[in-house]
Amino acid sequence: MSMKDVIVFIEHTGGTPRRVALEIASKAREVASALDGGVHAVVLGKDANAIAESLKAYPVDKIHVAEDPEVDAYVVDPQVDYLEAVAKAVGPALILVPNTMIGRDVGSRVAARLGAGLSADVVELNVADGRVNCVSPKLGGLTITTCAFKSDYGVATVRPNAFKVAQGGGSGEIVQLAKPAGKTYAMKVDEEVVEAAGELGVEESSVVVSGGRGVGGPEPFKTILKDLADALGGSVGASRAAVDAGWIPHSHQVGQTGKTISPQLYIAVGISGAIQHKVGMRTSATIVAINKDGSVPIGEFADLLVVGDLFGIVPELTKALKATATTHA
Amino acid sequence: MKILVTVKLVPDTNADKRIDPTTKRLVRTGVETVLNPFDEYALEAALQLKEKVGGDSTVTVVTMAPETGKEVVRKALAMGADDAVMIGDPGCEGSDVYGTAYALAAAIKKNGFDIVLCGTQSTDAITGELPGALAEFLGVPGLTYVRKFDVEGTTLKAERETDSGYLKVTVSLPALVSVTKSINEPRYPSLKGIMGAKKKTIAPLSLGDLGLDRPIGEAGAKTELVALADPPPRGKGKVVEAADAAAGARTIVEFLREKKLI
Ligand SMILES: Cc1cc2nc3c(=O)[nH]c(=O)nc-3n(C[C@H](O)[C@H](O)[C@H](O)COP(=O)(O)OP(=O)(O)OC[C@H]3O[C@@H](n4cnc5c(N)ncnc54)[C@H](O)[C@@H]3O)c2cc1C
Ligand SMILES: Nc1ncnc2c1ncn2[C@@H]1O[C@H](COP(=O)(O)O)[C@@H](O)[C@H]1O
Repeated sequence: MSMKDVIVFIEHTGGTPRRVALEIASKAREVASALDGGVHAVVLGKDANAIAESLKAYPVDKIHVAEDPEVDAYVVDPQVDYLEAVAKAVGPALILVPNTMIGRDVGSRVAARLGAGLSADVVELNVADGRVNCVSPKLGGLTITTCAFKSDYGVATVRPNAFKVAQGGGSGEIVQLAKPAGKTYAMKVDEEVVEAAGELGVEESSVVVSGGRGVGGPEPFKTILKDLADALGGSVGASRAAVDAGWIPHSHQVGQTGKTISPQLYIAVGISGAIQHKVGMRTSATIVAINKDGSVPIGEFADLLVVGDLFGIVPELTKALKATATTHA
Repeated sequence: MKILVTVKLVPDTNADKRIDPTTKRLVRTGVETVLNPFDEYALEAALQLKEKVGGDSTVTVVTMAPETGKEVVRKALAMGADDAVMIGDPGCEGSDVYGTAYALAAAIKKNGFDIVLCGTQSTDAITGELPGALAEFLGVPGLTYVRKFDVEGTTLKAERETDSGYLKVTVSLPALVSVTKSINEPRYPSLKGIMGAKKKTIAPLSLGDLGLDRPIGEAGAKTELVALADPPPRGKGKVVEAADAAAGARTIVEFLREKKLI
């Protein structure tokens, strides 16, 4: 069996790794063990040194760090250069990046540079006969593909919420990276505008409470849906109808022209369950729907459809959950 | 200004897509093919840019798709693109992101460009990986998830969406930009546009025309499909009529408890 290392790109925000980065680092350990290799983490940009320290608690062996201000001053290119340099130094490896708005860029570009195969939106990884297999739902979950790489390097962009975070089990050695030589950068960041600081976002949340046209306006998204999401430690999502009406920004949209997500729990409130919505959430572990119409399409694939008025049920549900939380505390 | 737009032809989103179990490829016959909805935003952005810059600016649509997709490409011409380039070589079949990006880059370079506009993702592959790979092969900056941009001379200023807000970014042309659906409202083809499209050129390009130095299609793919499976069944669950709001809430709480979600 051929030995192969696994390299994990640690995306981070606000001084901490994104949860998906820890998820892939944890899965990387399992894959690396099966390949008889080690786990390398790559942490770049602002706060990289502190984040590298914190990564020692997770199952990574070598943590490659560059707290280089250019990483934040320019869009993606510096990250791609550093990751490419680590990959070339490590040799043929499996490279895992989060399937996020940053990760997709980093992954696709590094793959192009290394002549590596790219497996997108991966939800399971396994090793058979020394080869890495990447499992991804395709066509909105209508079919599940298993792909292997024909190239020396392989890049997989991994969907958030696919793997559990594990602690310990790595040697956690920190190595400072040299700046890639002879590079100039073109996409200059003039300003970063943060509108939703600290929010996990629908892709990463393990609970998503989504509202649709039935919600009727922007207010309930900020009140009753937000309250329910808060009570469950989740985020607020939306159907396209709600987004197109301007009730909530597009970044919250779930579905074919929005995000494809796999939370533990998806609650669809006032959403009919059109095919373009379904493809974005059908791989959720558990689906609950609240709708006043008992014959809506979402009833065909929700684990539970409660038929009734959302304006009554949602606040009652939040109240009941809060009561449960206090009795258990 | 030479404005290029990549468009993909995809099965109609309402259609029941199927995979051929022997070829392991998407069955494209019997299902209506449409322009990837995301690419209409890119095309609209291209047309608006042309209108703004004026002069002898042109909008050229580039696609890798089978010959049979010509009529769909005409829709892009009817919306207002000046002409189209179509890599319709059967040798493209089985291309992965790597091969598609490599061949598209060759076609785009052959044509020449100041800016390449892409959609964010395709509704069939939903990888969102092509723009990044294409920018690499073109050797130009690739700014993705752009919800707003403005070009003055060769300077492009844009807003790039992030998970928590957006970045204000400046870049010089030539560059590649992928746009999100927040950027505009794509126009409908006018009757005049539809009539005019019939006279516009759709230039076919073979892989030989592109003079590629590496194999494309299945032979050049960097990944291979080893298995296909149906998703775990997601059958009809329970449907419960809520007698009143409190009863509805109770039903959900009990269900979540049963599932150990609370
Ligand atoms: C190319 C394309 C891409 C698309 N992409 C997406 C996408 O990414 N995401 C997406 O979601 N859609 C997408 N759509 C749109 C999709 O087809 C549907 O139009 C959309 O999902 C409908 O949203 P909805 O369920 O919120 O609205 P509706 O279908 O109007 O459903 C509203 C529901 O609310 C219920 N309701 C109303 N009042 C109450 C109440 N007081 N209490 C309880 N229930 C109530 C109604 O019974 C109804 O079932 C796309 C469409 C196309 C053509
Ligand atoms: N075969 C293709 N021909 C032309 N453009 C494509 C093709 N495949 C993907 N694209 C472009 O790349 C974008 C992202 O697609 P994808 O990476 O497949 O999700 C699309 O919106 C198109 O603009």
